[in-house]
Amino acid sequence: MPVMALPSRTVPWLAQAVLAAGCVGLNPTWLLGGFTLALVLVAALKLIEARDRAGRRLVALLQLVGCGLIAAQLPDLLPSLVQLLAAVLALAGLLQLESGQSLTWRVLLRRSVQVLAAALPMALVLFLLVPRLGPFGMGLGGLGSSASTGLSDSLDPGSIATLAHNQAPAARVAFSTNRPPPPEQRYWRVLVHPRFNGSRWDRDPQAETREAAAALPPPRDRQGDDQIWLVEPSRFTAVPWDGAARPTDANPRPAPTGELRLLRPALERRSYRLLEQAQPLDWQRQPPTRGDLSLPPRQNPRLLELGRSWATLPDPAARVEAAQAWFLAAGFRYDTRPGTLPQRDGLDAFLFEQQVGFCGHYASAFSALMRAAGVPSRVVSGYLGGTWVDPLGGASYLELRQSDAHAWSEVWLPGTGWQRVDPTSWARGAKATPSTRTAQQEAAAGALARGWRWLQRQWWGLDMAWSRWWLGFDRSSQDALLNWLLGAHRWAVGWLALAGVATALGAGLLLMLRTQGQTRDQRSRDVAALLHVLHHLKLDPEPGETLDSLAARAAQAYPTLAAALAELTACHAAWRYGPALSPEAERRFRRRWQLALEQVKRL
Amino acid sequence: MPSADPGAPRQPWPLRLGRTQQGDTLRLGLRNLYILPTGFGWSWLAGAVLLQVVGIQTQRNGPLLLSFLLLALMLLALHLTHFNLHGLEMRCEEARTGFADEPLLYPLLLRSRCPREAIRLQLEQGAPIEPQSLGAGCCLLGLPWRCNHRGQQQPGVVLIHTTAPLGLFVCWSRWRPPTPQVVIPARRSGPIGLVPPEPHPVAQGQQALERRDGSEHWHDLRPQRPQDSQTRLAWKALAQGRGRLSKVFRDTDGSPPLLAPAAGVPHEQALEHLSEAVWRLSERGEPFGLQLPGGSIAPAQGREHRDRCLLALALAP
Repeated sequence: MPVMALPSRTVPWLAQAVLAAGCVGLNPTWLLGGFTLALVLVAALKLIEARDRAGRRLVALLQLVGCGLIAAQLPDLLPSLVQLLAAVLALAGLLQLESGQSLTWRVLLRRSVQVLAAALPMALVLFLLVPRLGPFGMGLGGLGSSASTGLSDSLDPGSIATLAHNQAPAARVAFSTNRPPPPEQRYWRVLVHPRFNGSRWDRDPQAETREAAAALPPPRDRQGDDQIWLVEPSRFTAVPWDGAARPTDANPRPAPTGELRLLRPALERRSYRLLEQAQPLDWQRQPPTRGDLSLPPRQNPRLLELGRSWATLPDPAARVEAAQAWFLAAGFRYDTRPGTLPQRDGLDAFLFEQQVGFCGHYASAFSALMRAAGVPSRVVSGYLGGTWVDPLGGASYLELRQSDAHAWSEVWLPGTGWQRVDPTSWARGAKATPSTRTAQQEAAAGALARGWRWLQRQWWGLDMAWSRWWLGFDRSSQDALLNWLLGAHRWAVGWLALAGVATALGAGLLLMLRTQGQTRDQRSRDVAALLHVLHHLKLDPEPGETLDSLAARAAQAYPTLAAALAELTACHAAWRYGPALSPEAERRFRRRWQLALEQVKRL
Repeated sequence: MPSADPGAPRQPWPLRLGRTQQGDTLRLGLRNLYILPTGFGWSWLAGAVLLQVVGIQTQRNGPLLLSFLLLALMLLALHLTHFNLHGLEMRCEEARTGFADEPLLYPLLLRSRCPREAIRLQLEQGAPIEPQSLGAGCCLLGLPWRCNHRGQQQPGVVLIHTTAPLGLFVCWSRWRPPTPQVVIPARRSGPIGLVPPEPHPVAQGQQALERRDGSEHWHDLRPQRPQDSQTRLAWKALAQGRGRLSKVFRDTDGSPPLLAPAAGVPHEQALEHLSEAVWRLSERGEPFGLQLPGGSIAPAQGREHRDRCLLALALAP
């Protein structure tokens, strides 16, 4: 029995190496991450072990599935390019395996790209038109705590002597209008801290799980200006947003406290789309609880006394204004190195003695004062400002870094609901907002650092465009597309998908057959056209008869065609059996052929 | 009757399905081609489903698109695999004779209008040949098989199948070519009968004429062996580039043996002994004749004579 030799393993090993490179950044503690790494390892072991065609085929399939699993976890531009390369190489390995002959690299890659190009339109039709399902249950994965952010569950400014400036990226947001909001509106809320123990503001300890179930439903109208967010890994389910836009899907979704929650912590970079809208969201009208007024007794007595002095004012808004007037009159100063506050009655020390601090001090003290004044309040932490980046290529975006982290207060005002108050702005020197500080630090950085930052922003611009057009295509985008295509005739989506797949399949097959030479070449078509003309003259080739012989027979029957037929056979001989023709000579011969054929047709 | 080649791998089960086509020529098309997913194709589908689930659970576009791409490739491969065989024309050519119990080659002429890749051909009981990549035009292939009976034997069912380009589907057809192949009795050494040549007026005259030629006249050429004298080398043939050939002269001394089935040996076995003797004597360049129950062949030498004798043995009653 002849042994069918297998092609070399160079291509599969190359695909394996690219796949392994694509695994960088996976989180092995997450269920899907661990599974993916195990799959890639199994593919490598199988490649070592595989001795037959079936084993090598399985390796190619494992590599393709591995690409898909990595794509589920690392959807950014660069990892996607790596995944694409790995998929092309895996497909090339499979094609080489099945072709039964040794192919050169060039031929192999060309065939892989041809096959992908033939299948891609069909895949895109299915991708765009097949209605998407929501995740079953809570989705894949489990909780982890490896990631970190500049924000914290609890806010205890009194324990911080110096505020460190972490320049790590936090998030990026692109706007469909390609314009950022005005600077005074660039408050990006993340965490809400309603629990106060006298010095520290905490989140509700069960907020991560309890409120997700009671989350508000996504909007029905899913069109309008939108924002595409890309957030860095975090151990929180809460992600930044402006508090006004509505998510387009159930993940993330706003919680009643005003946090925007993912179904699970974003242990890898996540993206989501929000739709801007004018009406206030439900969380802003969510009535306060008794906890939003609670203050620990016998702590910060001077603060309590001051707050209670404003409680006599009938209008809560007037109490806020009184507090603002008091802060402005007292001459508070903004400083990121205020030193620590005493453990006992720390806020009293800040308000009445030190009067120097950063955002956390002001938000904490003001919120406590408002509670003492009978106005429900809480502290919110998030980001303020951001740097608007307009890269050379890709989409413009607002860049948020951890150094843009900020804290402010929210007070409940009857009739208007929860309102943002930023007491830090009442302090002197508060113009040095986080973003201003970032700009100052950038200016002070060296040329190398500035160059690196510039390059990073250019790349992020491309990444942002990728996120907008690729990652941003979610269920809501698909809904909008189907509405645009079908309007009220949504029942026809199946037929539309079927027609699209049939068309794409036809186009793909035509491409494949043409590129693989499974259609007759131009020469054969020329001869067929000549035979067709001769057939009308009742001249058909006999078995084994050559074109020259047939032409001679035709010339005998129709002497007026002798010259034209001689020209046709000469052209055919030159094409079929002569040396390769230059493009110019090719055009000349083609012209001669057409003229001669026309003469024969005219008879 | 064809015998199963012990080295032949077991065919995948789908290839045993389907109607066997008849006729001198088979043009593959929708009416005689069958296609089903391979085991790898089902695994591929499972991989696509897995990616679809992952895409739904993570709400990520990457696995969703790759899942649809796998499905699209499968749909594309369904047609491409079919097109790889569709339109191919197979015709059986006249087969050369071969010996029983030895590898035989059954010739097939494949005619295609377009290039095709990784076509696998085999006789049902034979070993597969290397996957063939066919260009546009005609291609002559020999399918290996074995037979343990002499006579005009049918090689059985020809299987043609392919899994190209992705191995996801197997497309096949079954064809029973009607042209038989002549199988000569197996070459087994053993006793043979020798019959003294009977004088015949015409034969005598012919023999006398040949004797007159003497050793001055050779009548055949055969490849030169080391023990052959240089004087018998055919210089003209060498000059013509036909290689080193020795002239075969008629032996005028003594009477060439007339081979016959040995008495007391089963008929088929006796024919096998004769087959071996014919081959041996022919290789030695010795003249011999053959007498069989159905007729006899006068003593002579050379390849044509040998083939005539072997054919007579194959078709002997």
